[in-house]
Amino acid sequence: MTKNHHAKSFLFLLPALIIFLFVVVVPFFRGVTISMTSWDGLAKNMNFVGMENYKRIFSTDTILTPLKNSLQFTAITLIFDNILGLALAVLLVASTRRASFLRVAFFMPFIISLVVSSYMWTYLYSSVLYPVFGLQNPLGNPETSNLGVALISVWRNSGYCMLIYIAGLKSIPDSLYEAARVEGAGRIASFFKVTLPLLVPSLSINITLILAWGLKEFDTVMVATGGGPGRSSMSLAFYVYKTTFVWNKAGYGQAIAVVMMLFIVTVSTIVARALRSREVEL
Amino acid sequence: MTITRNKITALLVRTLFLGALLLFFFSPFYVQFIYAFKTRADVAVTGLSFPTSLTFINFRNAFDGTSLFPAFVRTSIVTLFVVFILQTTGAMAAWIIARNQKNRVYNSLYYIFLAAIILPFQVVMLPLYTQFREMSMLNTLQGLILGIAGFQLAYNIFLMTGFIKTVPLELEEASLMDGAGQWTTFWKIVYPLLKPITMTTLVLNFLSAWNDFMIAVVVGFKESVRTLQYALYMFFGQYSTRIHEAFAAFIIAVLPVVILYIVLQKYIVDGLTSGAVKG
Repeated sequence: MTKNHHAKSFLFLLPALIIFLFVVVVPFFRGVTISMTSWDGLAKNMNFVGMENYKRIFSTDTILTPLKNSLQFTAITLIFDNILGLALAVLLVASTRRASFLRVAFFMPFIISLVVSSYMWTYLYSSVLYPVFGLQNPLGNPETSNLGVALISVWRNSGYCMLIYIAGLKSIPDSLYEAARVEGAGRIASFFKVTLPLLVPSLSINITLILAWGLKEFDTVMVATGGGPGRSSMSLAFYVYKTTFVWNKAGYGQAIAVVMMLFIVTVSTIVARALRSREVEL
Repeated sequence: MTITRNKITALLVRTLFLGALLLFFFSPFYVQFIYAFKTRADVAVTGLSFPTSLTFINFRNAFDGTSLFPAFVRTSIVTLFVVFILQTTGAMAAWIIARNQKNRVYNSLYYIFLAAIILPFQVVMLPLYTQFREMSMLNTLQGLILGIAGFQLAYNIFLMTGFIKTVPLELEEASLMDGAGQWTTFWKIVYPLLKPITMTTLVLNFLSAWNDFMIAVVVGFKESVRTLQYALYMFFGQYSTRIHEAFAAFIIAVLPVVILYIVLQKYIVDGLTSGAVKG
């Protein structure tokens, strides 16, 4: 290829690159700088304080509540999104008209915005759950608020897991089921011996995605509870927002954001590695 | 005899289970429908039973003279631009990256884009806000469009690059040999071949722009630029008792994405699963 050709190639890439540099890369590096200041987000000057903010994150325990909430939220969504997703996939994998209609319907919550789904559930909790079923609104109680928020997410994301599992189920060759039957395996045995092991790649995808989404959860918390009552449903991402924009501790909030990012990257990498090594074994 | 009984039990368990799932997944939609199409007085008397006559008063009250209709228009504009920017710049960049895999610069750029996918928005939230403020782009539709598009770009490039690698080179090489420029070759020859993936990204980009809340909260919070999701948040946060109008507004707010999903469901399902399986 000629030099001219390469120059032209680069021009093709340029618009994307400019937008990406402007919105992601430059802010990312500026963010690292801001995290080492005591800036309030408004003042003209920033005071450089070195690693002070980071030391403070690890020496006080204010981050523990949001961290615990985010981990609990992620654990709940990981478990229930996958169980419901797998159950739906097994029930609806058939290529009948009814199954395909239900697949479309069960995926519907995923395309609706988090603001709308959070409000729908907030109203459902407050205006239907108690008057109709006599159940207390989980969002009003600090013991259950985080669970109540997680349930909204389970409702929304299970359909996504379902689709990934259906793709996985469809990729399992019928010959394997026949072989299992020839060897005398019943339907339940062949589910555990054939289906589940071969669904590990789908499980990996679902775990990786739900994990990342769970640790980054923001919209649902802000809309459904605002992190409350108290801080009982405050997630990491919403805690960063509150610290930075509401409590005007921009430098400190930015440091929490950096720690949060490192945490997500580390956890995701470890989990992805572990899952990949398991896939190879199988 | 035992076999048939087992079969009946299995069918019963299956049906009950599916019934419970249907109840959990669809009761929100049912309640939404009931509240949106009944008046407050009607709900007080008949509760959650199916409405005997439909009223549209809640829809009128939600949109007539409130901040929600202008927000709907703004969201449409923002979505249109975000989708256009991503469908063009993302595909162009992905083509160059996919066709120059041996080039060190393009290859490392690809990995930078890949790494950006996992980045939580919070880590660029404040610096982006500061940067937009300095450049007078805070609380402008341009800023909002750029912010949403910029944050979606990496995922677009990842999906597109993966697809373009599977598209054979012959056609575009022939076109370049014939003396057609890169611009013509890309838009006339390559882009039409990318239709399966561009349809998928079209749906995904539409969803992320239409449903965006997080970025709007940070760079588009003033009333004059509020998009629909943020406007809904402000409006019903303030008037939390206007539940009938709320559900009517939600129906209108999700209508565009529901229509898009129903029309293009094949692409979104194929794309989500194939893209994810490859990744």
